[in-house]
Amino acid sequence: MSEKQLSAVEAELYDRQIRLWGIESQERLRAANILLIGIRGLGSEIAKNILLSGINSLVVLDDGIVTEEEQLKNFLLSKDSIGKKIAEEVLLKAQALNPLVKISADTSSPTSKDGTFFEDFTIIIATGLKTDFLLKIDKICRSKKIKFIAGDVFGTFGFSVADFLNHEYFEDQVKLIAKKRAHDGTETKPEKETVKVKSEIIYPELNKVIILPNTKQSVEHIKKVKRRNEYFFLMLTLLEFRDRQERNPDISNKEKDIKVLQEIKSEILDLYGIDQEKLDDGLLELVFGEIVPVCAVLGGVIAQEVIKAVSLKEAPINNVFLFDPLTYSGKEETVG
Amino acid sequence: MSSVPYSIDPRARELIPKSKVLVVGAGGIGCEVLKNLALSGFEDIEIIDLDTIDVSNLNRQFLFRKEHVGKPKAVVARESILAHNPNIKIKAYHDSVLSSDYGVNFFKKFSLVLNALDNRTARNHVNRMCLAADIPLIESGTSGYSGQVELIKKGVTQCYECLPKPPQRTFPGCTIRNTPSEPVHCIVWGKHLFNQLFGEDDPDQDVSPDAEDPEAKLDGKNSVTDSGNIKRVSTKQWAQDVDYDAEKLFNKFFNEDIKYLLSMENLWKNRTPPKPLSWKDAQDLVTDENTNNDSSVRAVDMEVWSIAKCSKVFSESINLLQHDLKGKSYLVWDKDDKPAMDFVTACANVRAYIFSIAQKSRFQIKSIAGNIIPAIATANAIIAGLVVLYAFRLLVEDYEKCNSIYLRPKSVHSKFVLAADKQLSKANPNCYVCSPQPFVNVFVNVNKLTVKEFETELLKKHLNMVAPDVVLDGKGVMVISSEEGETEANNDKILSELGIVDGSILKCDDFLQNYELTVLVNQYEAVEKDDPLYKVVANPEELKAKESKKATENGASEQKEPESDEDDIVCMESNTSEDPQEGSSSKRRKLNEDSDDDIVEVPL
Repeated sequence: MSEKQLSAVEAELYDRQIRLWGIESQERLRAANILLIGIRGLGSEIAKNILLSGINSLVVLDDGIVTEEEQLKNFLLSKDSIGKKIAEEVLLKAQALNPLVKISADTSSPTSKDGTFFEDFTIIIATGLKTDFLLKIDKICRSKKIKFIAGDVFGTFGFSVADFLNHEYFEDQVKLIAKKRAHDGTETKPEKETVKVKSEIIYPELNKVIILPNTKQSVEHIKKVKRRNEYFFLMLTLLEFRDRQERNPDISNKEKDIKVLQEIKSEILDLYGIDQEKLDDGLLELVFGEIVPVCAVLGGVIAQEVIKAVSLKEAPINNVFLFDPLTYSGKEETVG
Repeated sequence: MSSVPYSIDPRARELIPKSKVLVVGAGGIGCEVLKNLALSGFEDIEIIDLDTIDVSNLNRQFLFRKEHVGKPKAVVARESILAHNPNIKIKAYHDSVLSSDYGVNFFKKFSLVLNALDNRTARNHVNRMCLAADIPLIESGTSGYSGQVELIKKGVTQCYECLPKPPQRTFPGCTIRNTPSEPVHCIVWGKHLFNQLFGEDDPDQDVSPDAEDPEAKLDGKNSVTDSGNIKRVSTKQWAQDVDYDAEKLFNKFFNEDIKYLLSMENLWKNRTPPKPLSWKDAQDLVTDENTNNDSSVRAVDMEVWSIAKCSKVFSESINLLQHDLKGKSYLVWDKDDKPAMDFVTACANVRAYIFSIAQKSRFQIKSIAGNIIPAIATANAIIAGLVVLYAFRLLVEDYEKCNSIYLRPKSVHSKFVLAADKQLSKANPNCYVCSPQPFVNVFVNVNKLTVKEFETELLKKHLNMVAPDVVLDGKGVMVISSEEGETEANNDKILSELGIVDGSILKCDDFLQNYELTVLVNQYEAVEKDDPLYKVVANPEELKAKESKKATENGASEQKEPESDEDDIVCMESNTSEDPQEGSSSKRRKLNEDSDDDIVEVPL
């Protein structure tokens, strides 16, 4: 039996998902080596879901220290974790989620890593990063044919942006097939059969998707699309805020931060030639803190995209996902 | 320091630590909901679940680990939450929510009830309890990549039972015994054969040819003797007499019985006749690839076995099952019991071969025989996240902002991955559960149905009552009492004996559910061979409208059915193309006997 094949133990453990995506997908997942940058509210949700799915290995990269508040909102941490390095502290509970996955922690700063660090992965997931660094990782990923997805949760708002390169995937289609020959040559009755259909999505580079003020890049290709989902601009506003302030909006600084957000919002809407009314200022009240159930939703969506990217099964989201902070609906948006 | 989130209604932030919440079900969605509640600052949680942990739960029910297999879900889930935050008050019940211990007063203790269930019976029951207690309920479910979240609030939204659910798929007995045309027919037959040989006696699960099949004697002259079914002591007795000799059993079921079927010539006028297969001939039906000795998951589970291999597995599994049977009166079929699953796979495939039906892999047959609904961590996480986001809103009675949300697989043509309804779903004014005066028409044969059958099949299984009291209106006759022994003498009486006739009105009261239903009895006799034993309909107008369309629609409901995370039950939508209405027996066979409704639910 080759290493590639599933054992009976794995077949039993993963039975309910193999029945959904098939054994080949499970074998591809089993071969996947994944880097997860950021293991806070959203990161811990993504980690849980991909560990449960049965990947080969996960490296958790985060240089943060566990705060009291973080511990209360992150189920991978225990009371003893407070004050210690978060990437190491999640290991115990993360490993318990799936003893078959190889998990390791890296407590260095993501920005201190040189390019070669990122080259050994099947897919990289990033949360909580500044835009310039996101774009840098995307470049490395592109040169090494590594898939990349980034996402964040800001209050009741959340998003993801994916670069799955030229992504070929399979979908099952049910077809009625005509007669088939049985063992002794007699014909069987027509039957429904599922056939694999292959398709491809070509993803744009992230620097064609995330364009912020002062980058001196043309946004014409984004402006061209009419009726753009307005939450795309909320996403850009929050990324620009993090880039400028080197932190996320903070509830203890609420009034000031809302002011800064308003300024950034109007700059961004101007850049894209959008009416200021399109994005209500009231939304800016909703972007403070990581709300656990929103992390659960985004963590589910992003992990499912990772599973699709790795297993090559089912159409992935192309290429931006935006969670509506008011109605809790979620839409995909093609940008770039 | 608290984990109550910012960016939500400030009144909700205050109420979260003070509110008592009930989570019904600690499975795939339940585990996620509990985690979200605990990490969002809820400090007073109760959890109820009847189930114990299985290995196949561990790919998504992340509060459990391998060492917990076999333990109660509610108890382990509680321990797991406390290990993260010991300051939370969390109470676990390893029990059925249908138990009379959880009455309306129990439900009234809570600010919110969050359903994370896997079956319709429990969903119906909690729906009624929350209506009676007037507590908001969030109903949720997932199936594979899909899922949904829905608010149920008395007087504000529709209830879980406002729209009829699609019935479960059943098969006419003759299709199973005489004229299978799809793999599923052979699989049902294989399960029935298991029960005939090793299980509890059930005359409805006869596997032998059915000479009573009216189709077999269409032209009036019987092609077979009038003695009907092949006479034998009982399948089980006979099998014991031959000491479960695999070759003898094989020849009986796959050669002699098939030859007998062939003698019912009418059946084969327009069908491909079956080919009897002897044990000896089966040994020659090997495939080219020599996969017999390959024990990998792919070879054993994913490939379709040759008939020779089927006969080998047939023999091996019978030996093991015969051994298991020693010292017991019978075995219960379980998809996770290897010899039981092997036996059904082998039998289903041999029978499929005989009837020129496509054969299936063990893996595929397990899905069908065990009614397995695929389930993944991500869909549960997404749905449970939405459940708790709505919980925040319900604390401040923000019902208008809790429209149903559907998680869709990406392949649907729309940009919505999570699609929210534009408004709340309105209650059905004729709903026999949540309308002010619940009323329903039943169509039964008052000259045939016994009081006991009326109680178990109609009131309990179909109308989902738990402990009904029934009085015949106008005459004050106590027909059924929930007090033990009080009306036992009525059990075997025919309805008409008690004066229940066409036009009678029955007042049915379920004290536990605080639910009173007025039932109008209509006399009805099955005419067509596949007519149901009874019908239930809230509004007679519906009946007329639907009946004219019956031929084409077969009652497939357009309602979105909340799906189950779990594999215990499946409510397959009826589908005309998949459910050929041939055969004749009034007894229809179900795919899974341990599911919630044992009797045919009629598409109306």
